[in-house]
Amino acid sequence: MTTKDKYKKVAYYPGCALEGTGHAYNRSTKAIGKELGLELVEVKNWNCCGAMEVKNIDPKIQTYLSSRVMSVAANEMDMDVVMAPCNGCYHNLKKAEYDLANDGESAAVVDRLSKKAGHKTYESGQVETIHALDWIKDAIGEDGLRERVKNSLNGMKIANYYGCMYTRPRHIFPEKDAGPGSESTSKPHFMDDLLEAAGAENVDFPLKTACCGGAHTLSDSDMSTKLVLNILKAAKLSGAEVIATECPTCHTGLEMHQVRAEKVFGEKVEIKIMYFTQLLGVALGLKPKKVGVHENISDSMKFLKQKGLA
Amino acid sequence: MPIHEKSLIRPENLQTHDELILDGVDVSGHWSTFIESRVVKDYNEAMEDEIAALPGGEYIHRCWQCGSCTNSCTVHAINEDFNPRFWIYLIRMGMESELLRDKDIIWQCVSCNKCTYACPRDVVPEGVMKATAHWLELKGHTPKSPSMHFDEVFTEQIVATGKIEESRTIRRFFKRTNQGLMQDWMIEMVKRMLKHLPIGMLTRMGLATFVAPRTSNWSGAAGAIQEYIDEQHADQEKALSLSELIDVAQKDAAA
Repeated sequence: MTTKDKYKKVAYYPGCALEGTGHAYNRSTKAIGKELGLELVEVKNWNCCGAMEVKNIDPKIQTYLSSRVMSVAANEMDMDVVMAPCNGCYHNLKKAEYDLANDGESAAVVDRLSKKAGHKTYESGQVETIHALDWIKDAIGEDGLRERVKNSLNGMKIANYYGCMYTRPRHIFPEKDAGPGSESTSKPHFMDDLLEAAGAENVDFPLKTACCGGAHTLSDSDMSTKLVLNILKAAKLSGAEVIATECPTCHTGLEMHQVRAEKVFGEKVEIKIMYFTQLLGVALGLKPKKVGVHENISDSMKFLKQKGLA
Repeated sequence: MPIHEKSLIRPENLQTHDELILDGVDVSGHWSTFIESRVVKDYNEAMEDEIAALPGGEYIHRCWQCGSCTNSCTVHAINEDFNPRFWIYLIRMGMESELLRDKDIIWQCVSCNKCTYACPRDVVPEGVMKATAHWLELKGHTPKSPSMHFDEVFTEQIVATGKIEESRTIRRFFKRTNQGLMQDWMIEMVKRMLKHLPIGMLTRMGLATFVAPRTSNWSGAAGAIQEYIDEQHADQEKALSLSELIDVAQKDAAA
């Protein structure tokens, strides 16, 4: 497998969640980037992508918000690649890219708003948006990772959870389902590939792309708790000790509703929830605190100690 | 049976006879139920166009009722009454009173996009659910859903500052929906979170709740976005003839 040099230095778009509840994801992403010799240049003066909410007020505003981030990366920083670790940000930038290339009306609204806001209008194709999974997978690759592993995750049973926004809807991800080596939208495997290279044992987990109810985590909490319980129980039944996540909303949703299920529904499911970047960091020999394991609600420090990894 | 005839076999619409003998055959009881002939007159012919005029509803006309949306639906698996295919059918037929029976659950769509992924006609059922929930609110059939309150609080914060600071959004949402912030499970979660966190990080998180993170030089964008949202709202009110609706209501009230 060839690695892509252009991913060795990318514009980094952390997004709002990574400065709040997803802080451990931000920390661990930066830490493994440093460890692997990959350069992250944070997008200057970035704004929110619109998350899952703004599109319900008006979808074109969401397109504008996402386009501004790409415009800054392309026109003010001269970058070709924007890397977003959050599924929501990644999804919205991809969606904006698609709409700007295929829908004249969206492009006209973005142009009008950009001019009024006083910055250059983003033109589709100026940057390539990638997820943190693409970043490690293509810049380092499984072989590269295997060479660098210091503490193999040997014997750790992991359920890989990708959520909704990483693969759906299919049309905004033209590079997926594109033959050998590409990511699959029905059975994604990039996280599985990376963690396997780090020594972990991936369990056969049927709910990889199930929904955690993140959009209604507070406005329809019982629904979210039920959906999260499905995911936690299925992972447990698949034999997993840890659920690996790659999105701050999924991660926080799983952790929050794990507690809520216990307090409100009286159902306790004992399973750890960790960002894939935390797991990779530990495998690369970084101290658990360095990748924010102590910030997780599902206390994973003890678990790592038991596994001889801390 | 066409799916809009589902109403005829609802328990309350069934006709049963304690004692009925036809041509010498005893057909009493429930099994020999008869459906009375009926005429449907209250079609709302404007409903499909109105929903199609709201963001997300644009492609409702493409639906050919295959049922892939309902079959793949996350919420349907939890609540069988949540049925996008059925609602799209009712909207296209103009059967408003039937749709209104489910008015309080339509907003519960979690936007997982499994339907959009499965749909062979690119109807974008997820968008149709949002447009329908929005239509129900604009027409006054339902109060604003908790989800709509959340979307509004969220968007207002982005327009104002360019960024989201989560604790502020959560507090405003709970206030607007009249809920107490300190629910049992919330306290438990915060307790578990605080157990391992270093003082430095707690200070940082605490500071963020007082000093909102913001995108600098944002006022130009904020003004442009607000102006656009206002324009869109005005267009939607026109498409849904909301001013006429208000006129009628006011005349009714006066009379």
